[in-house]
Amino acid sequence: MESILSVRALTKKYVGRRTHLAVDQISFELKKGEILGLLGPNGSGKTTTIQMLLGTLSPTSGSIFYFGKEFVKHRSEVLNKISYASAYTSLPWSLSIKENLITFGYLYGFNPKESEKLYSPLLEKFGMLHFKNAPVSSLSAGQITRLMLVKAFFIEPKLVLLDEPTASLDPDVSKEICDFILEERKKRDLSILFTSHKMEESSLLCDRIIFLKQGKIIANDKPKHLAKSIKTYRIILLIVDGMKRIQSLIKEEVLSHKIDHRVVEVQLDEEKIPKFLHDLSRLNIVYTNIKILEPNLEDYFLLMSKK
Amino acid sequence: MISLSRVKGIFFRHFFANIRGVHGLSDLFYWPFVDILLWGLTAIWMETQNSVASLPLILMTGLIFWQVIWRGAIDFSVGLLQEFWTRNLSNLFSTPLKISEWCLGIISLSILKLIITIVFGGIVVYLLYALNVFTIGAYFLPFTALLILFGWTVGFLASALIIYWGHQVESLAWMIPFIFAPFSAVFYPVNVLPQWAQTIAWCLPTTYIFEGMRKILGQEVFPMNFFVSSLVLNLIYFSLSFLLFMKMFKKSLNKGLSRLE
Repeated sequence: MESILSVRALTKKYVGRRTHLAVDQISFELKKGEILGLLGPNGSGKTTTIQMLLGTLSPTSGSIFYFGKEFVKHRSEVLNKISYASAYTSLPWSLSIKENLITFGYLYGFNPKESEKLYSPLLEKFGMLHFKNAPVSSLSAGQITRLMLVKAFFIEPKLVLLDEPTASLDPDVSKEICDFILEERKKRDLSILFTSHKMEESSLLCDRIIFLKQGKIIANDKPKHLAKSIKTYRIILLIVDGMKRIQSLIKEEVLSHKIDHRVVEVQLDEEKIPKFLHDLSRLNIVYTNIKILEPNLEDYFLLMSKK
Repeated sequence: MISLSRVKGIFFRHFFANIRGVHGLSDLFYWPFVDILLWGLTAIWMETQNSVASLPLILMTGLIFWQVIWRGAIDFSVGLLQEFWTRNLSNLFSTPLKISEWCLGIISLSILKLIITIVFGGIVVYLLYALNVFTIGAYFLPFTALLILFGWTVGFLASALIIYWGHQVESLAWMIPFIFAPFSAVFYPVNVLPQWAQTIAWCLPTTYIFEGMRKILGQEVFPMNFFVSSLVLNLIYFSLSFLLFMKMFKKSLNKGLSRLE
């Protein structure tokens, strides 16, 4: 598959009163039509990486190639095919939705008529077309996020960089935005680089995930594989009879657990589950409800963040 | 019932903001100093010029010309600050936009705003005071061009500091242009200034224009060497401040533009 983005030994070191290595020799590729997630705890280097990929922050060393061309040498040419949306930026408040989009259209070489033809279907999709003359200052947070996405997608990019596009949004709006991203990818065979703190969303959207910690890549795999790399399952039981016996069992087996009244949650490796269930039966522990939860991306995130 | 504690809360909220950063300190010291200097020198000169019939016209033309410098300087630095305030800087510079294109865009708008400001100012002065600031005739256009060029020079200088140091120095957008007013001899001749200040004044391209303006309004011949001196100094300062701005923009990229939003 064609490589859209290739990052080689990218490093960012902030030198000053507090010298700090924000990104440490990371290398990765992004293929055509792929959605790649950059995940990691706060301060892991996700946003720093995105900023370097956009050229709004100079790397200390390393190189970035887009469409086979070195970014530093072909900045404008490359950025003409790339767009960006972030929850942490905004648009001029006094300008209307239409004026902002026309401005960005000009920056990508579209005249106002061409821009209008391109952004109108997207505004329509988000139910914003009828108030396109409203100033940005009158929009809600959810509407601004949608507008940022329209800004990012209407210029017909080949690659979109999204920095936590759904941060601080309600779940229904986040869902709508995730559906939109997937639809746009399918329609245009777009490549997307995506950062998020929402693991469920990342699992849903990303074909592959790069997990960053302290500026280094510690994993680069499919979301399912990352989740499965954790062997620990969670078993949740509502105990009817035998609280003391299950507490003794947990103590005896030295199991990681949580107890809330009669609800017991035990963390177990997959291969130990049959024995645990057998022990419950052997000790006559009566329970009414049982849930066996497979490890997910959130478990992976929590485990890796703690390590 | 007024709570002393809550009053203290508000007092200290603004007190801390005032003692930190350029903004609060400039309010306390810089602006009073510049105002006293500028209007004090103007008053001293006016006291000795009672017989000059064109005094109001000299002051009004000086005022309109000062607006030209102010316009050029402010359009740049406030244009940049507006991108900070609306968190739009990363959005702009993650597009194919080059910094030189951003500058040209601002310059184009600055010229349009300048034309509007001059026409509006000229009409207001005529309607209110029956004075024609366009009395200097054919000199008006080259004078305006040289002054706006210096305005952009000052704008680049302020923007160079703002793009690197960010919000903490945003008051410089207004402070830097104004420091040139007393030394440019906008409202009074250069010889009113103390000797040391005259040395500074003759290093500024604006001084030649304001001195020339007064000569023309006083029915004297405009010395062409004033025009040449102003042009040469302008070109030198403009090039230097543009290069400084480009350098500081590049240095700012090392820290990241998102920190400015």
